[in-house]
Amino acid sequence: MPDSYSIDPEQLRNWLHAAARQDAASFRLLYDATSPKLFGYALRILGKRELAEEALQDGYVAIWNGAASYQAHLAAPMTWMTTIVRNKALDLLRRSGADAEIDGPVFDADIMNALQDPRATPIDALLISHDARALAYCMSLLEGAHRQVVGLAFFHDLSHSEVAQQMAIPIGTVKTWIRRSLERLKTCLAKGERA
Amino acid sequence: MNIRDNPALCDKLAAEYVLGTLKGGARRRFEAYLRQDAALRGLVDEWNGRLVPMAEFASASAPRARVWQAIERRLGLRRSYAAWQFWRSESLVFWRGLSAASLVLALLLVGVITSPLLDHPQVDYVATLQDEKARTALLLTGDTDRGVLTVRLVDNAPVAADKALQLWAVPKQGKPRSLGVLSDQGVIELGLTPGAIGDDVALLAVSLEPRGGSTDPDGPSGPILYKGNWVRVM
Repeated sequence: MPDSYSIDPEQLRNWLHAAARQDAASFRLLYDATSPKLFGYALRILGKRELAEEALQDGYVAIWNGAASYQAHLAAPMTWMTTIVRNKALDLLRRSGADAEIDGPVFDADIMNALQDPRATPIDALLISHDARALAYCMSLLEGAHRQVVGLAFFHDLSHSEVAQQMAIPIGTVKTWIRRSLERLKTCLAKGERA
Repeated sequence: MNIRDNPALCDKLAAEYVLGTLKGGARRRFEAYLRQDAALRGLVDEWNGRLVPMAEFASASAPRARVWQAIERRLGLRRSYAAWQFWRSESLVFWRGLSAASLVLALLLVGVITSPLLDHPQVDYVATLQDEKARTALLLTGDTDRGVLTVRLVDNAPVAADKALQLWAVPKQGKPRSLGVLSDQGVIELGLTPGAIGDDVALLAVSLEPRGGSTDPDGPSGPILYKGNWVRVM
C-alpha cells in the first residue's frame, strides 16, 4: 500500500485544482491517495460495504463537480473532501433508516491505544495526517469517557439523548461532557501543543 | 432570538452542529442562520477544521475497483478525450507488445520486398500497420541513411475517390505528427523525419481523411483504420 498518509496537503491541493480544470488523471491520483481513508471512515459510519461504497461514489462525484469552488484558505483539502463524504454518508444513513452497529470501538485499535497512552503508542507514529495528529494529541488529554462520548456522537451522528442511552449515563452529563470537551479541544488545538 | 449578539453561543452551536449533536428544529434554525451569516459560516469552517480530521481515526480500508469505475462512468471521464484519441485510454504497452509480435511477419515481408531491390537495402526501421482484427494492411520501412520512408499497401485497401489515407506518428505527449498523405499507388515514398522515428513515438497510425488530408490542425479528423509501431532492425 502506498504511503498515502504522509501526503503533503500541498500535493492534494494541486490535484484538486487540476480536477477543477477537468484533469481526469490528477483526479485519479487524488482518489488513489485519499480513498482508503475516506472509505474506512464511510464504512465506520454506515457499517455496510455496499452503502459505504455508494457514499464514497457520491462523495467523489461531488468532489469533482465542486473542485472549482474549493477555497484553500477556508479548509485543508483533506478536511474539505472528508466533509463532503461525511455528508453523503450521513444522508445515506438517514435515508436507509438502517441502524448501523454502534457497538464496537469507534476508532482504529492503534489510534485508541495512542489516545489512551501516548507514551506507549506515540501519536507521531500513527499513519494519519498532521491535522489528525494534532487532534489526537488533544483528545489524548481528555478523560477516556469524554473522548468516547465525542467519538460516538461524531461517528454515529447521535443526539445527546442517544449518546446518553448508549453510554447509560444521564443526558445532562452528556451535554456537560461534550461542551467541556469541545472547549478543551479548541483551546488545545489553538496552542498547537504537542507531546 | 438573535444568536448573532451572543458570540459564545454562536461558537457552541457551530461546534455541536459540526459534531452532529445539534438536531431537529435547532439544527434547521441554525442552518437558516448559516445561509445569511458569513461570520457564522466561518465558525463552522473552523470547527470542521478542528473535528473532521477525527474521520482519520477509523481504520483505512481500500474500496473495490468498481467504485472508481462507477465514478468514472458517472462523470464521463473516459470520454473527456476526442473519440479518435483512442491511445489515451489504451495501454501503450499493449501496442508495443503487438508490434513485437508482428516483427517476424514484418521481417518476412521485408525479405520478400527488398530482395529484388538490392541496390538500396539500407532499411533500418520496419513497421507493420494492422487493422482492428490484427490483419496487416501496410508495411513501412525507414531508411535513415537516405531519409526515406517507404509505405507499401500490403493488401489493396480500397479507399473512396474522395478520401485519402494519412499516416501519423503519435508521440507519448502532445499532438500527432502527420508524416504524409498516402496516394493510391502501391508504393509511396515519403521523407523520413526525426519526428517519425524519435524515441518519443508511441504509435504509428493511419486515419481515413478527405482527399488532401485531415482538416483538423491538431490531428486526425477521421477514424483510425490501422495502427502499429516501429521495430528497429539494424
